[in-house]
Formats: sequence, structure tokens, C-alpha cells
Amino acid sequence: MIGATEFYLTISALLFAIGAGGMLLRRNPLVMFMSIELMLNGVNLAFLTFARLWDNPDGDIFTFLVLTVAAAEAVVGLAIIISIFRPRQGVDVDEIDEMKG
Amino acid sequence: MIEAGALFLLGAVVVGSALGVVIVPNAVYSVLFLIVNLLGLAVCFLLLNAVFLAAAQVLIYAGAIIVLFLFAITLLSPGGEHISADPRRWQRNVGIVISVVLGLLLLFLLFGSITGLGTPLPNSGATSGTVEGFGRALFQRFLFPFEITSFVLLVALIGAVIYGSNTLDDIRRGRLPRGEQ
Repeated sequence: MIGATEFYLTISALLFAIGAGGMLLRRNPLVMFMSIELMLNGVNLAFLTFARLWDNPDGDIFTFLVLTVAAAEAVVGLAIIISIFRPRQGVDVDEIDEMKG
Repeated sequence: MIEAGALFLLGAVVVGSALGVVIVPNAVYSVLFLIVNLLGLAVCFLLLNAVFLAAAQVLIYAGAIIVLFLFAITLLSPGGEHISADPRRWQRNVGIVISVVLGLLLLFLLFGSITGLGTPLPNSGATSGTVEGFGRALFQRFLFPFEITSFVLLVALIGAVIYGSNTLDDIRRGRLPRGEQ
């Protein structure tokens, strides 16, 4: 029987690893972006778990800041992705090779 | 016992939907799995006594960001994604190995950081998760980061408008955007 702390930390580590795997494996930029969101959420969960473990609100504040920065990042990242892939057919990051030497 | 079962079910939903985001080939279904994942995480936040953050999670992530993702997907590939599997199989295997190793390392690290601590999880009677404690911390000790956050949001807004307006080259050449000439 594992405690609640271990449970949340396990979920957090699994989320981060799954997000990293998606970032490495997928070639659709939007899915890669979602994988980044998964990783951020795993980190948020770890922050909150440790904040409760030590009864300290700093983890809550950091989670809040991560949430806001993730929103800003989603806006700018999706704008960049759209401006790159809009003139093309299909979305595949392997086709973005203009800077190849 | 029922509580432990419900907790396990919650964990299964969160991890399973995260796997769904990564595995499902169609990006729209990935977004739907992401919604399930974010809502499950909001439930986790609630169980961790972070009421305000759970509400913010539902509003910002499951609301605003998901809508942005769906908008981008329908704009970019309205007919669905047609990306074949990567022909280089060894890259995929290396990626899987790297993520598994990363997960094991993280588990090792996180569990190592709490063993021997002996602190009981103050899920009952903790005061740090209340809205009042959160607000006090945010507006007293963390006021400056909070203001920086507003600046970050403003910059992101301006950047998104410039990128999305399709007139970046015009602005760079000193011409006015279309419609203002």
C-alpha cells in the first residue's frame, strides 16, 4: 500500500516521461506541443505535492506561474506553427529543413 | 479501501489519457485525450487541497488552451493528419528507451527525495492550499513575479497578433498593414 504522496509523485514522473517520449517520437508539431503541456502538468503536480508535503504555499505560486507562462507559450507557439505550416501541405516537422547546411 | 480504489482509478485515467495523447495518430483525438488528462489533473489538484489552482486549471488549460489547439488543428489539417510512421525505426526505439530511462530516473529521484523524511502528508488540516493562503502569498511575497507575469502575457499577446496578422514582412519593410493604407 503506497501513500498518497508516492502516488502523486509517481503520476508526475510518468506524465513527464510520457510527454518527453511524445516529444521525441511524434512528428506532428501540434502533438509535440501537447506533449510539452503534458510535461508541464507533470511538473505542476510534483510542485503541488511537495507544497502539501511541507505545508508551504510556494509550490502553489510556482504552479500558478507555470500555468500562466504555459498559456502565453501556447499562444506564441501555435502562432509560430501556424505561420510556418499554413503555406505548406500537411504538418510534418521533418519537412522543415530550410536551415539544413 | 474504496478510497484507494478511486485514487488508483484516477491515476489510471490520468496516465492512460496521457498515453493516448502520445499514441493516437489523429491529432484531434489527441486533443480530446488531453482534455481528459487535464480534467483528471484538476481532480488531483482538488485532492491536494488546491482549490484555486484546480479551477484555474479547468479554465485556462481545459478551456482556453484546448480551444486554441483545436483551432490550430482544424486550420492546419482539416482533412486529418496524414503523417506516416517514421521510416527510421531505430530512432523510434531510441526515443522509447530514452523516455523509459527518464521516467525511471525521475521516479528514483522523487522517491529518494521523500524517503527518510518521516513527514506525514498533511492532506488533512493543511492550511497552505486555501484560497486565502494562496492570495496572501501571491500578493505579498510574490507580488513582483505576479506583475512580471502580466508583462509576459502582454508580450505574448502582441507577438501573437504580429505573427498571426500575415503582415510581418510588410511591417519589417516599414509599410502599413493592409487596410490602413
